[in-house]
Amino acid sequence: MNYADSLIYLISSLIAVSAFYIQGQEFIVSMIRGQSVQSVLIAVVAFIIAWEERSYDFIILGALIIILRAFLVNYFLQKRIPKQKSYIYEGKVNLSYLFLVDLIFIVISVFILYSVAFSGIVLHSFLENSGNSGVLVFPLTLFFQGLFLIASRRTTFTQIIGYVEEENSLVLFAMFLLPIPIIIEASVFLDVLALVVISSIVVLEKFTHEPVEELRG
Amino acid sequence: MTPPLNRWLNVDVVTLLETLTQYFFVILSAPLYAGILAKLKAMVESRNGPSIFQPYYDLLKLFNKVTIIPRGSGVFFKYMPYVLFGIYSLIALIIPVLVPVPIYLTASGDFLSGAILFSLATFLKTTAAMNSGSNYVALGASRAMSFNFLSEGTLITVFIAVSLLTATNNPYTTITFLTSNSLENISLVHIFSTLAFFMLFFYETGKIPLESSGLQELGMIDEGLNYEYSGKLLAVVKWSSYIKQYLLGSVLLNVFLIPWGLFSTSPIFLLDIPVMLAKWSILIFIVVIVETSLAKLRLFRVMDYLAIAFTFSILFLIFVEVIP
Repeated sequence: MNYADSLIYLISSLIAVSAFYIQGQEFIVSMIRGQSVQSVLIAVVAFIIAWEERSYDFIILGALIIILRAFLVNYFLQKRIPKQKSYIYEGKVNLSYLFLVDLIFIVISVFILYSVAFSGIVLHSFLENSGNSGVLVFPLTLFFQGLFLIASRRTTFTQIIGYVEEENSLVLFAMFLLPIPIIIEASVFLDVLALVVISSIVVLEKFTHEPVEELRG
Repeated sequence: MTPPLNRWLNVDVVTLLETLTQYFFVILSAPLYAGILAKLKAMVESRNGPSIFQPYYDLLKLFNKVTIIPRGSGVFFKYMPYVLFGIYSLIALIIPVLVPVPIYLTASGDFLSGAILFSLATFLKTTAAMNSGSNYVALGASRAMSFNFLSEGTLITVFIAVSLLTATNNPYTTITFLTSNSLENISLVHIFSTLAFFMLFFYETGKIPLESSGLQELGMIDEGLNYEYSGKLLAVVKWSSYIKQYLLGSVLLNVFLIPWGLFSTSPIFLLDIPVMLAKWSILIFIVVIVETSLAKLRLFRVMDYLAIAFTFSILFLIFVEVIP
């Protein structure tokens, strides 16, 4: 394993840690900031791949991630936090049990999905151990962590962040798996940005809700 | 030429010396680190502080005091401190806490058995405390147990993570492997198991983000179990907890943080004593920084802290299985 590989693994694991950090927060401001840090880490992965593959696409991708995810999404979400209530937080977050349930959920889902669908995939990338797709475990973890975040919380803000986290995981997945044309990536980013802007208006309408509430009719 | 003692007793004199050095060093030097920590902490807080030998004076004082056994307490309460001392003594002989080569009794257990012996000691300590018949201690025991289920899990998982690196459960092999392959020290599983074990070290030894001996009833976790002990029994219990701190700290230093620097050939193995003292001064320095810069967590947050340590250990144990 060379240094770039080790660096990619280390940063990917930090991305997983940031997902757990977001899961563990009660304060919405810290969650939004955590999401920014996560996006910056994903951008760093893009820059490393750009350096190793000598590809400009990944540099543009990294820059887009930083501008759109780390700054704009952060900006729009923070703007929606009521001015006098910068302290708003979700109470009754029982972190220890939440983490245990989260751990069971992620371990089971990631490893079933990985071993069934992804273990045989051969990666295109520079990652030295080509033929081994182990690095895909990180985006999968991030994806399921985003899902769990949406399922475990009631605040609309948190659920938007969970959604953004899922999108982050897809970007990371795409970076590891195969080079997607940059135009598609960019449109996905703008799409998510528009979605965040629209859904942040929903926040004003309804600050918290139960996940199944809307289904009752 | 084989020395005469060797022929007569059929023992390896060097190994015997290493065993005795390790055992007596662990037993006798264990209270010293608590003394140095208290002194350094006092200096940071601009106090004069107690002497670094204060834990020894305390133990001596307690040994000379009368032991009071509460009415209604059982045999467990009375004799378990000695059993605890014995268990920690055995652990001191089977894990690399001073000499980095196997000594006598090393073969009696591997890394995992070390972890399980720690768990056994915790279990016996709680049982003995419950046997004191005091309501306050029962409260303390229930508090300790509500945290311990996560900490014991983390301890065992971390030790399994370490054994995964070398595909063996022998800590001595792990040390040799880590010193000869330095790059493995920055492998994911090693970094995160070190982090988890570091977090665990603070919990198990009652350091400040989790437990403060200054705030007796409010913050005590482990101290709650010692409530009814007095005199000689309290001295033995305290001494055991100093040894436990030394053992956990030395495993953290020798296997996780700084595996380099230990000597194994005779008679140079005696140099391990200053090396261990130097390593411990680094650890104490880190502990002082953490203890003086962080506030104590509220009691119900301790479980969250341990859940994070447990999550780290489990998650990266599994990641490493997939990633080469």
